[in-house]
Parts: sequence; structure tokens; C-alpha cells
Amino acid sequence: MVKIFNNRTLAISQKVYGWLLRAYPPSHREKYGPAMAQLFRDQCRDAWSKSRNRGVTKLWLRVLPDLVKTSFIERLAALTKRKSMTDKMTALMQPRTVFLKVFAVVFLLILCATVAITFILPESYASTARIKVEPDEPAAATGISPGYDPYFIQTQFVIMQTQIVLDSVIDKLNLNVLWGKKYAAGNTLTTNESLEILKGRISLAPVRNTKLVSITVYSDDPGEAAQIANAIAEAYKDYRVKLATGLAVVNLSRLEQEFGNNEKQIERIRIELNALRQQVKIGNEISDNPPPQEQSYWDKKQYLDGLLEAHKTLYAKLEAAKLEAQIPKTVLVVITDPAVPGHAPVRPNKTLNIALGIVGGIFLASIAGGISVLIALKFRKRIGKTTAIV
Amino acid sequence: MAKPKSDPESSLPLTPAVFHVLLVLAGGERHGYAIMQEVAASTDGQIKMGPGTLYGTIKRLLEAQLIEESDERPDPHLDDDRRRYYRLTGVGEQVVRAEARRYAEIVELARDKKLIRKPA
Repeated sequence: MVKIFNNRTLAISQKVYGWLLRAYPPSHREKYGPAMAQLFRDQCRDAWSKSRNRGVTKLWLRVLPDLVKTSFIERLAALTKRKSMTDKMTALMQPRTVFLKVFAVVFLLILCATVAITFILPESYASTARIKVEPDEPAAATGISPGYDPYFIQTQFVIMQTQIVLDSVIDKLNLNVLWGKKYAAGNTLTTNESLEILKGRISLAPVRNTKLVSITVYSDDPGEAAQIANAIAEAYKDYRVKLATGLAVVNLSRLEQEFGNNEKQIERIRIELNALRQQVKIGNEISDNPPPQEQSYWDKKQYLDGLLEAHKTLYAKLEAAKLEAQIPKTVLVVITDPAVPGHAPVRPNKTLNIALGIVGGIFLASIAGGISVLIALKFRKRIGKTTAIV
Repeated sequence: MAKPKSDPESSLPLTPAVFHVLLVLAGGERHGYAIMQEVAASTDGQIKMGPGTLYGTIKRLLEAQLIEESDERPDPHLDDDRRRYYRLTGVGEQVVRAEARRYAEIVELARDKKLIRKPA
């Protein structure tokens, strides 16, 4: 059964190919044109089923050279069949005429193909969210700063593209279902499939001489591009905040445990000192030269004083860590400019593509014209020889 | 390739495109799209004919009477009745056999020169 595809890309491709068939001589076109158009339609349908627009573009890149080559061959073959062929061919094989005709045909073909491909390619919109990224703060408890990290921004770029961040974007925006409808005929995509698509659409760049980072997302839907860019910024912020909060909590719990152990040790030494004091019967007065039996008491007392001093420092650290755990870490990542939907598509760049088509067309048409002149000159020589023999 | 030649050897060697089209039609009548698909499949995608090459080849083969258009049409419910079907003529079959023999001889020669191994 023949399937009918109501698709703009296929419809334009078929229309353009139908028009390009004019490059063939009328007799060939009349006999084989419909069959060629049908074959191209079948190839288009296959290419579309396999890889959508990319497949159709690849097909065009294969079909165009084929069309140029075979239409030239068929034109030459048609000429050889005509009566008074020698005269007509000699006239037609004038180098200048050949060059101009081939140049015009090749140039128009390339230009038409460029225009067709430019309009076939899906339009893509870009949306950019800007965020301010700060490195991790020094831990208040230890006072140790992580120091300058020359790879900090690059590391953050990699983190922004990891599963940890992007999976939550996919979940939040329900991209598996949304993109399944768009690209997989309604079948829900796996998270890995969505992840691959998403990674291909993200572009990250630092804003020069600032701590700002641009998150740009491309999509055929301007609203979707903005939503994804904002969701990435949010997901990355959540990740950094959770990480920093988690570290502060771990640090606080470690300090609390250390503080508790220290307190227990101080209490134990105090009890031991009281016992010693009663045992050796030491008064409250401190003498410069204590008798030898009191020496162990005074040594222990000195050790306790040291411990109490360390305990005070630990207490200060603990209070600082408690304070740090309470402070929200949102300053690590600040979304300075949320993304908004773009007004005009950024891809394909129609003006640039058509300009490139014109430049490329002139270049390739000149080469094709030059080659045709060489062939025409050879042909003229051969015809000349044949005529001389006849 | 205007008229069939009495000696099939005189049509040789065939171009790869012509040989592949004749090889496909040796398996029975086919329409253009089926020919193109079978050629691509049998060459692992190395020969992908565009519509211009395929119908140019078909035109020359028809002129040389190595193939002919088939009058029979399959059930229109199973296929598009606008498709044209082609099949080998007697001469076409002789030519494709002769070309296959020529290739076999070349392969044998390459084996003798130890350029390729015999299949296990």
C-alpha cells in the first residue's frame, strides 16, 4: 500500500525535484519524468522515515550531482539523435555557448538547492539564561579557603551537562513524553535518549571578565528553548545549594562530636585532679617550688588548662559552623537574567546560506563550465574528423 | 547499445550500474524503486543510484533491448499500479551471464596470483 505523507519538507522537496527535471531533454522527461519523480518520492519517504530532515538533506546532496551529471549526458545523447546533427552540434559546441549554458544551469541548480535546503531545514530559536557563579566559600569552622581554581568555570560547565543536573530538567519539563510525541511518533523516550537530544541543544559560554555564565538552548519552539534554559539554571543552582548545605551539615556534626568528646575528657581529668588533691592534701595556695609528691597533680592541672583553652577555640568554631549551616547558600548561584522566548529564529541563517549558495554556485559553475568547454572542444574535434572522412 | 548484438560478448564489459541492474532483473521483474533498493542492498550501500542514473541506465538497456517493459501489472491493491515493471530479455540474460563469467574469470585470475583467497 502506498502511504501518503502530508509533510511540508517532503512536499517542497518533491516540488523542487519536479521543477529540476526540466534540466533533462523533453523526450527523456516525457518518457521517464513521472517514474523519476515517483522514485525520488519513494527515496524522500525512506530518508524521512530514517532520520527526518537530516535524511532528506543527505538525499538531496546525493541526488543533485546525479541530476547534473545525467541531465548533461541525456542532453548530449539527445543532440546526437537529431538530424543535421553535425551542424547543430558544431554550433551548439561553441565554447562560449557551452560555458554560458553549463554555467547558468549549474549555478541555478546550486542556488535552487541552497534555497530549497535553507527553507527545508527546521527553524531553530535560541534562548539564553545568565547566571552568576561563585566558587565554594571557605568553611567557617576550618577557615580553609579552597584557593583559586583556574579550571573552576570549565568544571562547572561539565557539571551543568551531567546527568545529575539534566535528569532533573528532563523530569521537571516532562521531556521524555514531550519529545516522544515530537520525534518518536508518540512513543515515550527513555531518559538517556532525551539526555542525548538535550546535550546537543545546549551551548555554555562564560561572559568575558565577569563571573557570569550564559546558558543557551536551541529549539524549534521558542517557548521550549526558554523553559529549558531556565530549568537548567534552576537545576544547577539547586545542585550547588544542596551540595554546600550538605557539606555544612556534615562539618557541624563532626565539630559537635569533637566538642562532646572534649567535654567528656575535661570532666574526667577534673575528677582525677580532685581525687589527687584530696589524696596529697594540696591547699589553694600555689607555691613556686611544690614538693615532689604534688608534682603529678600540677602536671595534670597544666594539661587541663591546655585542654580548656582548646575547648574554647572549638566552641568558637562550633558556633561559627552552626551559623554557617543556617545561612542559605543561594548566593553561590544567582540567576541574573532568566531566559525569555526568542522572537526570530537564529538557524538557519537564511541570508548567509543564500550568500554562500551564490558564491559557491559561481565557483562550482565556473569549474563545470570549464570542464564542459574542454569536453565540447574534444567533441568538435571528433565531429570534424568524422565529417572529413564522410 | 542501439540494437541487440548477436554475440553477447561484444556488449562487454558492462558498466557497474548496468551490470547491477541486469543482475537484479535476473531475479525476476522489478520496478525502478525495487531495482534501486536491491542494488543498494546487494552492494552494502556502496552503489546508491539516483533517479537520473537509474532511469538513464534503464533507457539505454531498453534501447539495446537487453530489458523490456513488462505488460503484466501486479494486483493494484498490493502495489502502486502506476509503477513500470522491467524484465530481462533473452539477449539481456545472455549478456548478464557472459559478464558474470567474465567476472568469474577475473576472480580466478586474482586467486591464481594469490591476491585473494579461495572461500572456505
